[in-house]
Amino acid sequence: MTDNPRTLWLATVPVALVIAPVLPGLYWALSPAGDSAVWRALWQEPQWPLALQTTLTSALLGSLLAAAGAAMLAMLIYPSALWSRLQRHLAVLLSVPHAAFAVGLFFLLAPSGWLARALAPLMGWSSPPNWVSVQDPYGLSLALALAIKESWFLLWMLMALLGEQAVARQMLVARSLGYGRLQIWRAVLWPQLLPRLAWPMAAVLAYGLSVVDMAIVLGPGTPPTLAVLVWRWLTDANPDQQALGGAASLVLLLLLVAAGGVACLAWQVYRHQRQRRLPKGQRRPHAPPAWLKLHVPMLGVGYLVVALLALWSLAGPWFFPALWPQELTLTSWRSANWQPFWTTLWLATAASMWCVAATLIWLEWGPQRYNAVLYLPLIVPALPLVAGQYAALLKLQLDGQAAGVLWSHLLMVLPYTLLTLVGAYRGFDARLMTSARALGQGRFSACLRVKWPLLQRPIAAALAVGFAVSVAQYLPTLFAGGGRFATVTTEAVALSAGGNRRVLAVQALLQVALPLAAFALAALWPHWNSRHRLGLR
Amino acid sequence: MLHIENLTVQRGSQVLFQNLDLRIAPGEVLTLMGASGSGKSTLLNWLIGALDPVFSASGALWLKGQRRDALPTELRRIGILFQDDLLFAHMSVGQNLAFALPAEVRGAARRTRIEQVLADVGLSGFAERDPATLSGGQRARISLMRALLAQPDALLLDEPFSKLDAVLRGQFRAWVFAHLQRTGIPTLLVTHDPQDAPAGGKVIDICTWQNTSP
Repeated sequence: MTDNPRTLWLATVPVALVIAPVLPGLYWALSPAGDSAVWRALWQEPQWPLALQTTLTSALLGSLLAAAGAAMLAMLIYPSALWSRLQRHLAVLLSVPHAAFAVGLFFLLAPSGWLARALAPLMGWSSPPNWVSVQDPYGLSLALALAIKESWFLLWMLMALLGEQAVARQMLVARSLGYGRLQIWRAVLWPQLLPRLAWPMAAVLAYGLSVVDMAIVLGPGTPPTLAVLVWRWLTDANPDQQALGGAASLVLLLLLVAAGGVACLAWQVYRHQRQRRLPKGQRRPHAPPAWLKLHVPMLGVGYLVVALLALWSLAGPWFFPALWPQELTLTSWRSANWQPFWTTLWLATAASMWCVAATLIWLEWGPQRYNAVLYLPLIVPALPLVAGQYAALLKLQLDGQAAGVLWSHLLMVLPYTLLTLVGAYRGFDARLMTSARALGQGRFSACLRVKWPLLQRPIAAALAVGFAVSVAQYLPTLFAGGGRFATVTTEAVALSAGGNRRVLAVQALLQVALPLAAFALAALWPHWNSRHRLGLR
Repeated sequence: MLHIENLTVQRGSQVLFQNLDLRIAPGEVLTLMGASGSGKSTLLNWLIGALDPVFSASGALWLKGQRRDALPTELRRIGILFQDDLLFAHMSVGQNLAFALPAEVRGAARRTRIEQVLADVGLSGFAERDPATLSGGQRARISLMRALLAQPDALLLDEPFSKLDAVLRGQFRAWVFAHLQRTGIPTLLVTHDPQDAPAGGKVIDICTWQNTSP
């Protein structure tokens, strides 16, 4: 790697442009919260105790259920052929954005939803039952949505860890010693995997604490979750309300830190307990119960939800309790508003390209030891960050401008492109670069002509991941755009308050289609590009 | 006695090896040679019960007069040793060994037994140590003892010497073979290095059962 301080400095510029303005922004947005009067006002605010309660229920319960679901599924079916097959399904399901998933789940669970229609003949219902199955005051339906969606992410993380040969072989060795799979999970795998799952878990909880789009669709209305309240306060014209929002967004951060502290403590106690205890050697070589097909509901609900979006977007008249619309029609698609689609398309394309370029420059020339800083947006609740971005944009008078919206997406996209590329970049055979440079190429041209073309597959994947992350952004688009930029995500969430399910389904389905198309392109393009090069396949 | 009877393994229409048939007597170490990619690991995976589902296999595995190829790994009583020692990093050396020790050895006797095993391999007082602080040779010895403590009916060695440096390798090899002879367990050693085979032991190349087209 280079030691030239000037290139090192230059390589940090594209990344610094993304991160640096947030820091003073955070100061501007959060400094009013330094006043104790603000905290007293927050304490006396009537909505705050209930909002805090629903946030705690939905975020904690959602994260715990997601972890429990992913852990149980892994324990039931790893190692097996089924486990490896699930990987492909997860790749598809993970590309379904949170907001679209929430809308689809609403179509499934609402009193007039598909589940109630399926039950209607059994229960003799002719009108929707008197359920509070969505937007319930406790945030339970929001917790359920988070649990399902985040369990896929945690399963994906588990798959990556279990894909390591050293981990897979430990399972094999322990089995050859006569232990059953469930025992091995408890005694061998979890003690080693749990510390490595700490950051993904933190990301899940941080997301659950500050999620706004899903909370608007599925969460309670009066009072809403704390995150929704914070967002309303921060965007209020009244500075007192803004200060309240800053303070409450710090509460979200504190909740995350507190949960992390409790988890660390529990882990230390557990470790201390097992430190000197000798395993007893008791073998229970029973296979896990095969009849428990947990993967069917856990992954199946994802497909069901997308199918419901598609069905509603094509539905003609569709009265309760019919399971199927009276007729299918393209009317909703013909009259659809395509403006959000095009806005999303250019925004996501520009954001992912900027971030992949910045990531490549950073990985080649930048100071790698600061990678952790770039990952921070993944595990910090989005709300204080977005508030900081918004404050910075206001000072620069870039709020409501296209450049401002684009910039607000970069901070969220960058950690993902880095995460996707860093492994492949570090694993690149350095001798190839040495050979290229020995042939007289400069470092930049060797990158351009040898390294980056050889890395086209991970680069394409990073572009797709960055694109998908940008498509799913809700808060940054709203804040930085000042309501002037509607993307498929903001449009779908805005429409969820109205009564027109068909129009809503079209926007939500577009939100699913964009990332899915990006991933398909990322898989196909390198394949086509290297069709005459077997070594690259 | 371990007997692999008429084993054929295929991947789709491609045959990896055909009608493989071999017997290993108690206390014997049979060496199976083969270049990398020759299907050695696939054979080991079949023996241990972890064959990748892309392969299909026909044939039988007999051990002590029982057919075992339909049993799951945990019921086969076949131990395996890889080139990486695969000690569990979250357990102490003593815990690693106790994990393998049968449950019939109870209470204080477990600790005594482990101390005794450690003394046997020249690592007295290592029970509380973190495996990560041991040398490669020490870890390899613990790893073998862990496999043997579970009292397997057969043992598989997957290039177990290839990660050790040249000096250590000779010593460890001699130590392993001496130890295995005493236990009387049939052992299959798989390697690409002819020097790994014990002196006077039977050596077979896996291409005996493969179509020898280039």
